[in-house]
Amino acid sequence: MSGTASSVQSSVSPVPPSAAGRQLLAELREIVGEEGLLYNADELLVYECDGYVVEKKIPDVVVFPLNTDQVVQVVQACNRHNVPFVPRGAGTSLAGGCLPVGGGVMITLTRMKRILEVNLRDRYAVVEPGLVNVHLTQHLKGTGFHYAPDPSSQGACTIGGNVATNSGGPHTLKYGVTVNHVLGVEVVTAEGEVLELGGAVEDLPGYDLTGLFVGSEGTFGLCTKVIVRLTPDPEAYRTMLGVFETVADATRAISSIIGAGIIPAALELMDQGIVEAVEEAYHFGFPLDAGAVLLIEVDGLEVAVGEEARQIIELCEQEGAREVRRAETPAERQLLWKCRKQAFGAIGRLSPSYCTQDGVVPRTRLPEILEFIAESGSRHGIRIVNVFHAGDGNIHPILLFDERNPEQVQRVMRASDEILTKCIELGGSVTGEHGIGVEKLSFMSQLFTPDSIEVMTRVRQALNSGGLLSPGKMLPTAGACGMEHIERSHPGKQAAS
Amino acid sequence: MTAAIEASQEQTPATQAELCRFLAGNSSGERLPVYPVGGRTALSCGGAVTTPGIALSVTGLNRTIEYPARDMTVTVEAGVRAGELSKLLAGEQQRLPIDIPQSRRATIGGAVATGVSGPRRFGSGTLRDCVIGISAADAEGRLYSAGGRVVKNVAGYDLCRLLTGSLGTLGIITQITFRLRPLPEFSAFVWSTWPNAAALDIAIGELMCSAVRPMAIEVLCPKAARQIVTESRLDAGRDDLVLAVGFEGTENEVRWQTDQLRELLHRAGAGSCEQIDQPEQVSRLWDALTDFQVQSEEPLTFRASLPPSQTIAFIELCRQQEVTVQSHAGNGIVTGHLPDSASTVEAAGRITETLRKEAVRHRGSLVLLNCDENWKQQLSVFGERGGGWQWDNRLRQSLDPQGLLNPGRMPAS
Repeated sequence: MSGTASSVQSSVSPVPPSAAGRQLLAELREIVGEEGLLYNADELLVYECDGYVVEKKIPDVVVFPLNTDQVVQVVQACNRHNVPFVPRGAGTSLAGGCLPVGGGVMITLTRMKRILEVNLRDRYAVVEPGLVNVHLTQHLKGTGFHYAPDPSSQGACTIGGNVATNSGGPHTLKYGVTVNHVLGVEVVTAEGEVLELGGAVEDLPGYDLTGLFVGSEGTFGLCTKVIVRLTPDPEAYRTMLGVFETVADATRAISSIIGAGIIPAALELMDQGIVEAVEEAYHFGFPLDAGAVLLIEVDGLEVAVGEEARQIIELCEQEGAREVRRAETPAERQLLWKCRKQAFGAIGRLSPSYCTQDGVVPRTRLPEILEFIAESGSRHGIRIVNVFHAGDGNIHPILLFDERNPEQVQRVMRASDEILTKCIELGGSVTGEHGIGVEKLSFMSQLFTPDSIEVMTRVRQALNSGGLLSPGKMLPTAGACGMEHIERSHPGKQAAS
Repeated sequence: MTAAIEASQEQTPATQAELCRFLAGNSSGERLPVYPVGGRTALSCGGAVTTPGIALSVTGLNRTIEYPARDMTVTVEAGVRAGELSKLLAGEQQRLPIDIPQSRRATIGGAVATGVSGPRRFGSGTLRDCVIGISAADAEGRLYSAGGRVVKNVAGYDLCRLLTGSLGTLGIITQITFRLRPLPEFSAFVWSTWPNAAALDIAIGELMCSAVRPMAIEVLCPKAARQIVTESRLDAGRDDLVLAVGFEGTENEVRWQTDQLRELLHRAGAGSCEQIDQPEQVSRLWDALTDFQVQSEEPLTFRASLPPSQTIAFIELCRQQEVTVQSHAGNGIVTGHLPDSASTVEAAGRITETLRKEAVRHRGSLVLLNCDENWKQQLSVFGERGGGWQWDNRLRQSLDPQGLLNPGRMPAS
């Protein structure tokens, strides 16, 4: 789940609408009706940020279109009035992807939430962008198929938002991220035209525009329909919990398992700090004195998973696991996954505030980055706990602090930046699944050369030439009309997916 | 087949920097069209090229940059041959799980630029799922990159996907990072024959919803089956439609699945049903199924995309036109070779337009892959332009404003 809004109060007062503003508002009312509009300051407050609460900006208007045609009309109205606009789903994103930089109109797609078609024979479904991720999975229950991407916020986040950020989740290790499961999208362009990219049929001629669109953080268009791939349910699971004396032992076990040619469905690490909090919250029976635990799941054919589980247990033991427990019943499996997916909910027991990072390193460099995180934490006097997607090297260090202490807050920011810089140094990236948004803009020039950023900027200008759509996101050079630079002063409470 | 490229002056830079310098010089000087070439196995892909210019070979860029086997990624330059890469990876019991035809000659950069695929796409996905980092040079010699060397990364726009299958029109790919998979321990096929196409259609539907997880679901018309049988030196039924289902994994799981499947196919009305599990035979069969798409004696080869459920009906339509077909039936991809009787452009055009109409009716497409260059100028290579073409054009104009990179490959606006 995404973190809740921080206690930092916004002090923005409503701007008295100008004549032009009143005109735009009247046009929007014409399109979506009074019930599809929010424009009073107190109602707008909810929309000032997403799960990234460090930077805030209240949109001038929020609209809730019901169909593609209304989205088109809203976008055209924004273009006529030269007002910035930004799409939003459930607002669970963690990098400020739906922050309305420059104000303007926020187009919230949560009322477009129908499942339009399910075709099991051809393995796809067509859904509207506001559909909550888990609702698709629930709808498919009993069919033998599911939608594979399962971000930890899946109970709240929308498929459209998943498309914008190319969301991951614990099971991406084997099944891939959102882009691997999206066959096509219907897009309303920055100019307000409707385009169909890709489709239910594979290999349509032309560039892979669907692939380019997924993960573009709402900077190329608003998706109004998504064609997703459906995946057959695995026949069987084996879910295990490896208990290790040290984090180093656990990370060695990860490399051994994958080195042996086994691709688990999920491979998650929790260190002692987070285990303590999770145990207190959910009473699973985790050992409190272990340095780290690994949550390992294999899935597939009944005839295969037993053997894989046996090999995994053997490899863990070779790397010094104190014990490897198995979830013997579906209920036990579910509890284990609840502990993992809701680990962030338990952090409140450790600290009044926290912030998490989303770096990635090559899997074999995990020991180095974890050592660095510990060292950085102790150097800055910040407690850091870890729960993350170890199988694909995607770390989520959680920095614990008290946001009432501004000096401590500064230390948290410095430690965060150091950790991400170290990820780059180790050959990794600053974001595995949360996105660049506005949060990590400053890292883009460390990851990419000026020429690469220039080419990405050209791509953005080709598809969003006016710059009114989602200004100030993804690229440090992205034209942001009226964008005020917002100094980061507070790390937020953020949850990992 | 590609007279304009053969008439072009060849340049073979030895480094990325040299390649960039060459492009920069060209774009500010003579502004000749630039045709990227690798192993020259896929020069007939895309629209016809007509004006000679520079054949810019990437074969000089043939280094392995980094292979951290434990991380299961590899970074190579574009000119590395696909076969060499396979050999390197096999040394660590790993592979890139993508079928690349003529892999001894084909370069890995060419495979990415053309977005090749084969039978394993049902179980392993396509190249777009495997490319995690890419570098390319634009027409002005600007070297740019996207992605990185880690398997999970959402920083920046996904130009890896954009460039994969872009036919060299948005940049000349110089370096690629792939995510890898373990080599399977065991592989086998179930080869069955089907006198009755309707029964086969139902069987595939059942197979897709059953517990088995094949790596490939291939359907062959009798003529294609005979070719494949000869090519892979098999002794297997070939006088009806053939369904060849490939499995990979541990020996245990593969055998369990082939048993399950044989039972299912018998029940569904297969004529004959045999198992191919002798390693050399299996390996030759994978190769033959991969290379079928580039058998080049026929007058014209096309690839059609359909909803998987329409594949068998489409194959029957192809057979009425005497087209030899192979299909990745689980993905709705059909490769067809026109018969020798289609020896004129008019005859070929009639057949492809009939078939294209049917594909488009199901929201699919039909693309001409390989035929006489003059035919390509008279026939429609890609068919009617559907959604997204405006964006294709805008992207090409913004990354190659002078139109120097492989002009003619992608249809113009």
